[in-house]
Amino acid sequence: MSTIVEVRDLSKRFGDLVAVDGVSFSIEQGEIYGLLGPNGAGKTTTISMISCLLTPNEGSITVNGHAAATDARAVKAALGVVPQEIALYPTLTAAENLAFWGRMYGLGGAELKHAVDGALELAGLEDRAKERIETYSGGMKRRINIAAGVLHTPKVLLMDEPTVGIDPQSRNHILETVKRLNSSGMTVLYTSHYMEEVEYLCDRIAIMDHGKIIAEGTLNELRDVVGGMDVVTVKVDGLADETLQTARGIPGIEQLDRTDDELQALTRSSGSILGALVSTLESAGAHVTSVSVREPDLESVFLHLTGKSLRD
Amino acid sequence: MRTLLTIARKDFTVILRDKAAVLVMLAMPLALIFILGSALGGIEESDTIDAKVAIVDLDTGETGGLFVDGLTGSEEIGELFRIEVRDDADAVRTDVEKGDLTAALIIPTDLTDRIAAGEPVALEVLQDPGSRVTAGVWAGVVRAAVSAASAQIVYGRALAEELDIAVGVPPSLRGEDPTPPIGPAPVPPSSTPITYPPYEPTLDIVTVEEVEATIGIRVSMISYYAAGMTGMFLLFGSMFGAFAFLKERREQTLARVMSTPASRVAIVGGKALGVFMLGAGQFFVLLIGTGMLFGVRWGEQIGATVALGLAEVFAAAGLAMTLAALGKSERAVGGIGPALIIFFAATGGSMLPIEMLPSWLKPLQVISPVWWTVDGFLDVMTGAGFVDVLGPIAAVLGIGAVLLAFGIWRLEYR
Repeated sequence: MSTIVEVRDLSKRFGDLVAVDGVSFSIEQGEIYGLLGPNGAGKTTTISMISCLLTPNEGSITVNGHAAATDARAVKAALGVVPQEIALYPTLTAAENLAFWGRMYGLGGAELKHAVDGALELAGLEDRAKERIETYSGGMKRRINIAAGVLHTPKVLLMDEPTVGIDPQSRNHILETVKRLNSSGMTVLYTSHYMEEVEYLCDRIAIMDHGKIIAEGTLNELRDVVGGMDVVTVKVDGLADETLQTARGIPGIEQLDRTDDELQALTRSSGSILGALVSTLESAGAHVTSVSVREPDLESVFLHLTGKSLRD
Repeated sequence: MRTLLTIARKDFTVILRDKAAVLVMLAMPLALIFILGSALGGIEESDTIDAKVAIVDLDTGETGGLFVDGLTGSEEIGELFRIEVRDDADAVRTDVEKGDLTAALIIPTDLTDRIAAGEPVALEVLQDPGSRVTAGVWAGVVRAAVSAASAQIVYGRALAEELDIAVGVPPSLRGEDPTPPIGPAPVPPSSTPITYPPYEPTLDIVTVEEVEATIGIRVSMISYYAAGMTGMFLLFGSMFGAFAFLKERREQTLARVMSTPASRVAIVGGKALGVFMLGAGQFFVLLIGTGMLFGVRWGEQIGATVALGLAEVFAAAGLAMTLAALGKSERAVGGIGPALIIFFAATGGSMLPIEMLPSWLKPLQVISPVWWTVDGFLDVMTGAGFVDVLGPIAAVLGIGAVLLAFGIWRLEYR
């Protein structure tokens, strides 16, 4: 495999805010590369720089052998962009929208018609092609939003949080669409703050926080960051801050964090700490409502690396 | 170029599907043209009743006075015309040329002498071409008066010769006075048989010469407001162009367009062209619509009118980019846009006839594309040709170029 996207030491500042801080990664042709991080981590700014919408303060971007700084047009031609927002014209029909975006990438005539038909089929909306976008549901709009980004068959597809705010059925359709596009040879850069999506889709993942990549690798490589530890999740009512401090002192607990009424503990010996943790909480007057133990996932990796949940 | 056209076509379609835009750009101007034109001046020739005319009697003899008395003494004529008897023929000519008078009758100095000498003589009827129908009615009235006078004189001479009674013959023709005013010929007593002598009618030598004023052609109020409202509402296309740009920026479609290989020139050019196409369509609808619905005559040189209109549409495209640059949001443009357009329209004569505007506004008019356009429209309506309006066309294009350049310079794309 050859590298199709190369990002080196990329930085972007907005006044005093450092949105992206020295980010480097590369994407191999044909893979799905995930950028995982909470809102504000710098994922969208990174994608905006790759798609030449923003100029970096430092660093370089190369796409399909073309440098963004000197040959933005060639870079743009190699890319398909699916923005986080539904960037479509509500008063145009789905077919009109797709035809417009196809023409913007130089398609015309029979080639354009073929591409529009293919994109509608990909979105599963052939029978509603002549209806205005404003009459579509949120999920249907998202599907056309994706179709508009791929109908010119780009070499690299940039997808920025493409499943925000949609129903589970449409989300599944979109995830399957991404898999299908990738299996046809399209390279995908996928950003999300939903770890399940990234785990399901991506060959390699970079975890971002505060403008930096704090970990990168395959799913298994990232799981190894937490070194075979289990994640113990305890739901509890009436937990006082002092009790949390006490619980952190229980032998065997590597890390203990709280999100609202939920505690997450990283441990290599879940069997031995479980009883001690529950009894410490109950004796302090808290009421434990549920306990679960699972293998580490990206959530626990993020928790381990940052000390906070992805949902924070 | 292809990308530019793609963007222009898309913008044209998107704005055209906005019902509010269509209402403001087409329905409102047509309604206002009808309301203002009807209220202030009536449709076309409805001002033929109660028109103002003048008579100037320069005749050194007394025949002219007979005409004056005959015309001013008739109740029927008085219902149709407000007649002023004036002394200054030059002032009357000027008033007809300016359109202050619909028509006038100038009685020459030698009318009586020429009739007495049996020489041809002409009465001059001046007409305002802007009110041809009314002026034509006035000329007909004058002709009827000449005919009546002729019959009266003939009848009078016949009686004078046969009965030795002088009736209705001007003193200058008979050497006696007084003479009754011209009017319906008196009916002789039924018991008296009348035998008409074989005389030629004396006033057959008097002809009526209709003269059309050559300058100061007026347009009807409906035509005036067709020009004025078209001049103003063509600029409203700019608002919808600016709205479209800002909405695209807010909804991120502009960012998506910017992420395609299209150049920035093609994107901005396409957006400006979209506004131009919209304005051009609006202009042709108003041009044809006002002609068909209200009988507005845009002038003989329709090419000059079209050039003026399209020049203003170009200015509207430039204004769209300036508004998009000045207003950071659609709400801001909704405030700035109408204010700017109404300023241009007020100084440009869209709301009140240009000649009624105060003189202190004149320096401001040069920056108003509406003023140049409306003034040009009116010139063409009153007979000007393409060459005559090249100046206004160049001025409007210049204003448009400045607005477009400013907009492109200051536009924010994100």
